[in-house]
Amino acid sequence: MRYIPNTEEQKKEMLQEIGVSSFEDLIQAIPGHLRWQGKLNLPPAMSEMEVEENLNQIAQKNFNFSQMKPLIGAGAYLHFIPEAVKFLLQREEFWTCYTPYQPELSQGTLQSIFEYQSYIARLTKMEVVIPSIYDGASATGEAALMALRLTHKNKVIVSQLLHPHYFETLKTYLEPHNTEIIELPYLEGLTNLDRLKEIINEEVAAVIIQSPNFFGGIEKLEKISEIVHSQGVLLINVIVESMALGILKAPGEFKVDILVGNTQSFGLDLNYGGPYNAYLATKKQYIRQLPGRIVGETVDLDGKRAFVMTMRAREQDIRREKATSNICTNHNLNVTASNIYLSLMGTEGLYRTSLLNTKSAHYLENLLLKSGKFERVFTYPFFNEFLLKSKEEIDKLDKKLLQNNFIPPLKIYDFYPENKFKNTLLFAVTEVLSKNVLNKVAQILSE
Amino acid sequence: MKLILEKSIKNRIGYSLPPDLFEDISLEDCIPEYALDKNKKNLTAVSEVDVIRHFTALSKLNYGLDDGFYPLGSCTMKYNPKINEKLASLNNFTYAHPLAPQETVQGNLEIMYHLNKLLSEITGMDEYTMTPAAGAHGELTGVLVMRKYFLDQGKKRYKMLIPDSAHGTNPASAAMAGFQVVEIKSNQNGTIDLSELERLMDKETVGLMLTNPNTVGLYDEGIVEIEKIVHGKGGLLYYDGANMNASLGILRPGDVGFDVVHLNLHKTFSTPHGGGGPGAGVIGVKKKLIPYLPTPLVDFDSSTKQYYLKEVGSKSIGKVRAFWANFPVLVKTYVWILSMGPEGLYKASETSIINANYVLAKLKKYFKPVYDRYCGHECTFTGKEYKKYGVKTLDIAKRLMDYGMHPPTIYFPHFEPYAEETIMVEPPESESKEMLDEFIDTMIKISEEAKSNPELLTSAPHKTPIRRLDDALAVKMAILTYDDELNYQKRQ
Repeated sequence: MRYIPNTEEQKKEMLQEIGVSSFEDLIQAIPGHLRWQGKLNLPPAMSEMEVEENLNQIAQKNFNFSQMKPLIGAGAYLHFIPEAVKFLLQREEFWTCYTPYQPELSQGTLQSIFEYQSYIARLTKMEVVIPSIYDGASATGEAALMALRLTHKNKVIVSQLLHPHYFETLKTYLEPHNTEIIELPYLEGLTNLDRLKEIINEEVAAVIIQSPNFFGGIEKLEKISEIVHSQGVLLINVIVESMALGILKAPGEFKVDILVGNTQSFGLDLNYGGPYNAYLATKKQYIRQLPGRIVGETVDLDGKRAFVMTMRAREQDIRREKATSNICTNHNLNVTASNIYLSLMGTEGLYRTSLLNTKSAHYLENLLLKSGKFERVFTYPFFNEFLLKSKEEIDKLDKKLLQNNFIPPLKIYDFYPENKFKNTLLFAVTEVLSKNVLNKVAQILSE
Repeated sequence: MKLILEKSIKNRIGYSLPPDLFEDISLEDCIPEYALDKNKKNLTAVSEVDVIRHFTALSKLNYGLDDGFYPLGSCTMKYNPKINEKLASLNNFTYAHPLAPQETVQGNLEIMYHLNKLLSEITGMDEYTMTPAAGAHGELTGVLVMRKYFLDQGKKRYKMLIPDSAHGTNPASAAMAGFQVVEIKSNQNGTIDLSELERLMDKETVGLMLTNPNTVGLYDEGIVEIEKIVHGKGGLLYYDGANMNASLGILRPGDVGFDVVHLNLHKTFSTPHGGGGPGAGVIGVKKKLIPYLPTPLVDFDSSTKQYYLKEVGSKSIGKVRAFWANFPVLVKTYVWILSMGPEGLYKASETSIINANYVLAKLKKYFKPVYDRYCGHECTFTGKEYKKYGVKTLDIAKRLMDYGMHPPTIYFPHFEPYAEETIMVEPPESESKEMLDEFIDTMIKISEEAKSNPELLTSAPHKTPIRRLDDALAVKMAILTYDDELNYQKRQ
């Protein structure tokens, strides 16, 4: 086996050095009847050639996605990724190393994480950034648990326009703690603020609001923040489509207490849903309740600037059951991917990409409305995702789109089974759809 | 080295975009004033060349598995085959949208379906969920499944038994799932004290979380009794698969009686660690626990000949993340299993056990084993005896770096009085005898240096890009972003 260097001769030599006559002598601690005797019922070993052919065949059972453009987002967005991101990421020094517990051998990873924390702090105007929780959904769960610890209260209000998968995950994370979850309804595509005013009180630990929300709507965070903070409640803001930060005001400006940011849009492939990454950002005063790892700056013995995992007294390997979270392995490599992406885009590139997303999405919405085949369900401001109701059966549209190499938009009824959402689609438009392509989409959909 | 933010030059760019052809649409018409930022976010301004040079330079400050020996105990730093990476990044996989119609992602679903079967066979379990993103995430998922199982039967069990030798994630996961953690002491053999288990395992206890071989690298000899005690009192057995690399084709957790198993695919199944993830922490369960798994699972409809995502039903613990899985990690695992075949898997475990016992045999004269018996795929020493020379385990570890090797895991496991100042060495199957001999010789040399020139160790490393760090200063300064640093400089 090419991944196992030792030969049979070496094996014998080593057993002799150990002082046993056979391998079986080494595993005597395993009770005989439990020792697996047979051969595992698995396919026989394949050569590299065979395994490649096998996988290529399986991959071809998918549609030819590199030739297709998605009109769907809903938590996963196809943005352009510069080749330099993937090229650099493949360096084995980033790929194959372990969590940077030994800083002398890990400055590459550690500095990269520190740079990323710096970018995210600037993008969001938040003070402290935990760079990596698995994804936005699990990070939302962690944020809620953090709010419970900070407030010693056990009730949260959650907007119904939080991504449904995030909402489901949040429920799973909170269920063992008997936390009361109050659903906050929506009105005209945005979270219903009058209702929020009615139900909020001092017993609530946190209010969780996604913006842009699941329908793509840009929430009135300033007003929400006023309402929430007037009752001494914490505001948790969730961003699923981070590209919006290129043009939208930073959540920190709205005094958000805990920010969850899914960063798939920053240089990460779609990959059928993962691995993505999420940061969790907050105020310095809350640092001790943060879950997960953070990197700080220090100096070495010679006074040279260096980076290290810090504030570790919160973590599971030190605090065990008293830790702020169980998280250990996170998605650090994706932190570096996003760091490289944000470095390439820079101030100007991120702004322009974000701008292009906004304009392209509004352009398509306008075309579809003009075609007369679609109408709005709500009128609300949006970034790059919007809802439209089709006057035709949407199953037919699906077929047409797939035939023309487009991945159809999300049928919102699947997530919100309400009558008004029959035949309603959640479109996502990013910079990868050019004006020409959008014209074609509109043409296909209005035929 | 300068930060990429410090390399910013006004008007320099590293991106390219097609022209904006939407001149007649204005941003102000699209985005209301309450949300629109008047300023651009200040990131950096560098060229693509700057970026390539910067990150290439950063990478050279890291030590990767392809650079040399990386014997981190309980981490299974085995070779990451290159073909895995290529096949996990086929365009049809990387461009697959998670909510694309299921008929368009039959390839993805087929891999998930088959991987479930392969892992079930390897571990003797009935069904796997591919969902959890990491080992600890799998633990949380697994203990939530156990919790739901008892709740469903109307039983209130609120305690979880966890050995003192367990990874910190075990108690932390149990606590996240709302359990009260009860610690079981290890005995003088390094394994579970059966009378303690008998005493603590009661009707209020959900079960036991166990790593086998345990974190000291020892197979628990009492496994049959452990199973009898826990199941006898109606509890469930959880298997922490961090150390599965000792068991492929040798011992299937399902046969032992474990009810839940998590596997770190980034350990035993050869996928890279990426400097701390992403990995995957899939969990396998016995039949009676399938209804409680997170939703959805993957199944095959024999009438339509289509794979599909199957909702688990009302007993499911729900979702633990968005979408379905860390898919590329699953592809790499699948490719590795196909490449190894059943004999190759067995060979991997056999070799890693022989490797660890070889290191144990050759080093025990110089470093005292925590337990002097044959080990599994990792061996644990104590550096206690070098304290009299003023040398700690940390110093030994740092000195290894000067010889071009990554240190083993140190100070874990830690439980008194048996495991202190520990050095845990895991030499997986991808390490050759020559590599081990080099490591052994180096450790012997370091043991001599510890006696003759302890200062050489206490001031180590000497040959790394940076020297030892001031950890306390990091906490005190609390510089967590570049702007913190700028502010700190202003204050000084």
